[in-house]
Amino acid sequence: MLNYFIQNNIVSNAVEAMLFASIACAVLSVIITQVQISSIGFTMAHAAFAGATAGIFFSINPTLCAIIAGVSVAFLLGPLSDKARISPDTALGLLFGFCMAVAIFFIAYMQTLGRGFSATGLLFGNVISLYREEIYLLAFICIVAIVFIVVIYKEMTAIIFHKKIAESVGIRVRPVYYVMLFIIALTVALCLPIIGGLLLYVWLVTPAAIALQFCTRLSSMFIVAPAVAAVVSISGAVIGLEYALPVAPLTAVLFSLVFIVAVIISPKRRIATQKS
Amino acid sequence: MTPSDPLIRLRNVYTAYEGADRPTLTDISLSIQKGEFVVIGGPNGAGKTTLLETINGMLAITHGTAVVCGHDVRGDGVHVRCRVGYLLQNFAFDPLTPFTVEEVILMGRYGTIGLFRKPGEEDYMAVERAIRLLGIEEIKSRPIGQLSGGQQQKVLLAQNLARNPEILLLDEPFSNLDMFARDDINKLLTRLVDDGITVLIVSHAFDALPERPVRVVVMQDGKIILNRGSSPGEVELVVRGAGRGVSHA
Repeated sequence: MLNYFIQNNIVSNAVEAMLFASIACAVLSVIITQVQISSIGFTMAHAAFAGATAGIFFSINPTLCAIIAGVSVAFLLGPLSDKARISPDTALGLLFGFCMAVAIFFIAYMQTLGRGFSATGLLFGNVISLYREEIYLLAFICIVAIVFIVVIYKEMTAIIFHKKIAESVGIRVRPVYYVMLFIIALTVALCLPIIGGLLLYVWLVTPAAIALQFCTRLSSMFIVAPAVAAVVSISGAVIGLEYALPVAPLTAVLFSLVFIVAVIISPKRRIATQKS
Repeated sequence: MTPSDPLIRLRNVYTAYEGADRPTLTDISLSIQKGEFVVIGGPNGAGKTTLLETINGMLAITHGTAVVCGHDVRGDGVHVRCRVGYLLQNFAFDPLTPFTVEEVILMGRYGTIGLFRKPGEEDYMAVERAIRLLGIEEIKSRPIGQLSGGQQQKVLLAQNLARNPEILLLDEPFSNLDMFARDDINKLLTRLVDDGITVLIVSHAFDALPERPVRVVVMQDGKIILNRGSSPGEVELVVRGAGRGVSHA
């Protein structure tokens, strides 16, 4: 798609992949931060990582395993908190610990067997050796995330506003919520190879946190967050490849820097300071 | 459903919260006719809020039958909630909540609009009507998080009225209101009941009730211990008397 503008195929592919991944993650980051389920996103990212490492170990498609693991976490959370009589927060802590343990076990064991390299790539991401099919999949999930928001925007806004109020006005909160978790899990799994399990969380939270510094309406957050994420991710990819720096970690640092600048120049904070 | 049928009919209902090993409400039987004004009293933890959430189908009924507006609550909770307004207690929205008053009130229509459909002219007219009823025209474009607790309370009441409910369930509606706002809400509730809307109100502010005959339901330990008619001035005495009667027994 970008071959007309960028001659180098590797750079072109990397930029395309980062663009699609960042838009998909940024759209979902608005939901994740506003519904306040960032712990779920965090645990899902690590579950997908654990799933992918297990997939590599057993020579099963890692992306498929990552999707299954991510979705399983989302669906296990409710029953686990109910059956074990623990808060969802504690259940997430347990699942997170379990996922990390599984991932580290397979990585360590594969290193013992001399097969550790490909799993290590899942930790920090890799934008260089991407197949065209992987980029098409990222484009697909990007479209799915956008269509999801457009189609059930009103239901989502009510859930974001107040889950219980949304239920009381007659919205079927549970199905919408589970579809949302499924799309987050799918996005996390597909973005895992290029962003990495340890850094994915930055893409799932920071774009919305930046947008929130400037937007007073939810609809504008859904535009600003992906726009900011796209610019930061493309910059990270271009700079990283130009100067032979690790792309995903560099982009994650750029996201954090942009967030700090956004907090400093936020008009909302200026108003708050004036009031106090 | 014939006009003489009760609008709310609970028969031997048991309700439990998800994951709980014991029912929160036990053996509740209650019939309420269209246009009644019902005050639900009782000590904290008696099950008053649980009763409201059972009526609108937000909690699982483990035993018994509940029919509201002609719909079985157990299998048809979403349809019940489209016809029943429910004002929650104890809410406070963050100043950064990214929704204006108008947007919040429009959300009251979302259940009736249905999935994959956009709000139409009728929905926006209902929102305007609710805004006028509550007298909150001047704040309709402001973010809800930047309003006072009383103003937020009014906005959520408007949200419920926007879907033209047959029943209004109000949980501590006077808790954030000053005396002027209470008077306004009183007048509004009187008007709504006169128009045939059934109102169930959980409140400890008995002096704030509208001047009209009411039905008093007193709850304790998840059971109804008293269910009788009363004048608004007597409600506090009736609730206190019922509570003492049980504790003495």
